[in-house]
Amino acid sequence: MQRSQLDRRTLLAAAGLAGVTVLCTRAHGSVKLSPALAAPGEARTLVLLQLSGGNDGLDTVVPFGDDAYRRARPTLGLRQSEILALDDYRGFHGALVQVRKHYDAGRVALVEGVGYPEPIRSHFRSYDVWHTADIRGRDAGDGWVGRLCDAAFPDQQNPNLVVHIGGNVPYALHSTSHPPASFVNPRAYRWAGGESETEAYEQAGGMQPERDEKQPKKRAGESSLDFLRRVLADGQSSSEQVRRAVAAYRTPIAYPANDALAQSLADVAALVNGGIGSRVISVEMGGFDTHTDERNRHDQLMRALDAALGPFLDDLGRSAAGRNTLVLMFSEFGRRVAENGARGTDHGVAGPMFAFGHGIKGGRYGVHPSLEKLDDGDLVHTTDFRSVYATAIERCFDLKSEKVLGAKYPLIAFA
Amino acid sequence: MLNTPFLLALLSLAVPAPTVAPQAEPKRENASADDASADVERIWNARNVEHLYNRAGFGARPAEVEYAQRQRPVAFVKQLLEGFAPTSDPLFIDIPAMPARRDFADRDEFEKEQNRFRAEERRVLTSFAGWWFDQMVEAKHPLQERMVIFWHGYFTSSTRDVKRTAAMIAQNELFRRHALGNFSELVHAIVRDPAMLEYLDNNENRRDRPNENLARELMELFTLGEGNYTEADIKEGARALTGWRTTDDKTGSYFQPRNHDAGVKTILGQTARFDAAGFVDLLLAQPACSRWVARKLIVHFEGVEPDEARLAEYASFLVDKRWEIKPLLTKLFLDPRFYRDAVRAERISSPVEYLVGATRRLGISVPPQILWLGAGQLGQRLFDPPSVKGWEGGEAWITTSTLLGRGNMAGMLIGVVKLEDVLREDPLEVEPEGEMMGGDMQEGGEMTDDPPSDARARDAKRAGKRKVDLGAEMSGLQRLTSAMYFPRINLTARMQRAKVAGDMQIVDTLADELLPVPLSEPSRAALLAFLRAERGALSLEDGRLLTAGVKSEDVLRRLAHLILSLPEAQLG
Repeated sequence: MQRSQLDRRTLLAAAGLAGVTVLCTRAHGSVKLSPALAAPGEARTLVLLQLSGGNDGLDTVVPFGDDAYRRARPTLGLRQSEILALDDYRGFHGALVQVRKHYDAGRVALVEGVGYPEPIRSHFRSYDVWHTADIRGRDAGDGWVGRLCDAAFPDQQNPNLVVHIGGNVPYALHSTSHPPASFVNPRAYRWAGGESETEAYEQAGGMQPERDEKQPKKRAGESSLDFLRRVLADGQSSSEQVRRAVAAYRTPIAYPANDALAQSLADVAALVNGGIGSRVISVEMGGFDTHTDERNRHDQLMRALDAALGPFLDDLGRSAAGRNTLVLMFSEFGRRVAENGARGTDHGVAGPMFAFGHGIKGGRYGVHPSLEKLDDGDLVHTTDFRSVYATAIERCFDLKSEKVLGAKYPLIAFA
Repeated sequence: MLNTPFLLALLSLAVPAPTVAPQAEPKRENASADDASADVERIWNARNVEHLYNRAGFGARPAEVEYAQRQRPVAFVKQLLEGFAPTSDPLFIDIPAMPARRDFADRDEFEKEQNRFRAEERRVLTSFAGWWFDQMVEAKHPLQERMVIFWHGYFTSSTRDVKRTAAMIAQNELFRRHALGNFSELVHAIVRDPAMLEYLDNNENRRDRPNENLARELMELFTLGEGNYTEADIKEGARALTGWRTTDDKTGSYFQPRNHDAGVKTILGQTARFDAAGFVDLLLAQPACSRWVARKLIVHFEGVEPDEARLAEYASFLVDKRWEIKPLLTKLFLDPRFYRDAVRAERISSPVEYLVGATRRLGISVPPQILWLGAGQLGQRLFDPPSVKGWEGGEAWITTSTLLGRGNMAGMLIGVVKLEDVLREDPLEVEPEGEMMGGDMQEGGEMTDDPPSDARARDAKRAGKRKVDLGAEMSGLQRLTSAMYFPRINLTARMQRAKVAGDMQIVDTLADELLPVPLSEPSRAALLAFLRAERGALSLEDGRLLTAGVKSEDVLRRLAHLILSLPEAQLG
């Protein structure tokens, strides 16, 4: 009952979004009409996958049906045989075989032409906009996930609530009240003493007075020493939970062994299924800044991405927690429409954004930007990325998205 | 196709006068300061001396504590303000010139040159950062280096936005020149500083299209604090700052009259034809300004908020001294309230203070780039503050990840933790070239080169199955440590020199030498239990631990690792 109402609302919102309603193209004639993300009350996990460096959207979702594409990309343009056509206008890059399989199964939502007004072509500043969901960037305060946690989990201090797997923590996760646990490798998320030192280390941290789970920050009157003891104890339990979850996780799905992203996503699957209360998990794949030799490099990137995402989405389908997971994939900007003189592309603006999950309504959303009506050689975005965030915020965390984003953005019907 | 480099002579520091005579009579500022310093004389014990070293420097070695205790507080504080010894020679840096597109017929060539230029910029920044960390560890003038970091977090600019090493280094030089100088002069200089003009978009601030960024931060973060101005003041202030811009290569700044709005502005109720200098003077004349600066300094050094009476006292003192920083800090360090319990125990050290402090207390020599990258991993990347507000500091330094990370870094410095063991993986990462590659600054480029890719693949096989993207910073750190770091440390000799042998003596001595604050009872019990168990495992009686050669040293090092991982080690 409630679900069908919800459904209507989201569909209407999507229709209003860009003046068109795009229906999903499910291969299986599924009878499920409602999003299958768990009902409010059940935990859902949001996974953020950042493609760093500016992914070339036109070489990811290729508008082969537009002559302007071939004109703009005389050496970089993909041949028809290198494209997995979705219809007679666009198709996935030929390496995205598994993504295509999941797309056909309704687990991939493609949102076209995503960007923001007055786009910035600096990597760092554009990241800041995506990470804070605010044009002002870092001047706006904490990252958007930090603000999301303030709104959704004001009293919670589970150190594993927000997790980043990778080197540098994205600013999106920057939060003074809900700092993320972060590690390159969950097996290495530990204080690296031997067994007997660890016992003493924990003893030194275990001497704090009665703990209060609901107190996120240093309490009034708490001494710095007691605060540090508390974080030490939290760190030991957080680290142990993470490592246990990863060690205990068994999956028949084979992830490519020698690929960083695939291994990180395998760890994400372990955390999602580990019951340790992680609600936002972030991972990053680098190398998308293809100013030169884009043909080879972007092909490789697409192959690696497909090889990692394919098994990950298979894996998520195996459990309720996995099926309740929403994955958002984004990049700080797309690239310019025309190739440069070095068989590459320079920093551009809008690009496609992807949502993945077993509980979403797959298909195509938004409007592909025109390749003719350009702004100084760049695509003009048709959907604000904050519409995608807003959808994730409302569907995964049962929050009014404007509480986090500061303004209302039209929701998109994929979830 | 080398660019003609130009030489930038940096850090033309005034060399401080040789160490002052310990018994020099203090200049009698006024009666109350004199009373206060007499009070400090009464509490001039090892604990308080170390406290002062922790806050005004980077921690103390035992001999330094003894030295300070032999001085009178007034004389010692004067040395702190002037420096203990002449500082190292200024670093001469060969800044590469930025390639211009017009000099290249071929785009490929231009891009290659750009990549080379960026790599060279990173290399220069890395060497400069190394030099800076050396100054901190050597601590010839530790307070000056503390103040350079303070101003860097106060007047933030980041290499990530400025993207010009020369400008970042010149700003650092500005902070060093004014570190303990005059706040008014520093604010006047910072609104003309190329890195700041670039960072806060003043190149975009023109008569026909004002950009408010610099005016806003100048009021909100640099002088007055929120609530002491209006949005209209920002708009008008921005007009006063129009016309100041950087040269194209960002190594200099100049005033461009045709972009300056010379009209009448009304700022904070005053109406005049304000220019940048006039606007800054107006801000300095606000009562909120001295309160803002005094509060920032007190909170930085004490770690807790001052009460209203004390804030008012320090703010008016700063105005009386015409914005000179030295008298203010002298007053602070000779103020008995600086030594009260709530101040001594409460401040959480920054990652830089933690790592430099640990290095100094351990008495080891560490390639300074390791400290730079390590502090970055722990949340304080010098030259790259997280936002215009700088580093939040205090308890925000501590998360579960950074706390256990601090312990692991200390273990790495001591040699009981190998980064590759912590990571248990090979730092394999396909690093693309171009702007993003390796971040803007993280690479320890000149220290090691990336191994060729087939060697990497071979290493990957040896290391096992996983290929993990560590991020450029961690990869650089790991390469540095595995290639060039061997801890030169002999804790056995150190304990023997201190003439200690029993478990309790060893724990107390090592903790005293390695910790910035006294060991708490619970931690002491944990350390003792550990040491007893380890000694037991070696079948040695209490008092005989140091007789087992390399095994004794191993136990002592693991004890040291434990000590530097304690909650107490994070204070100071």
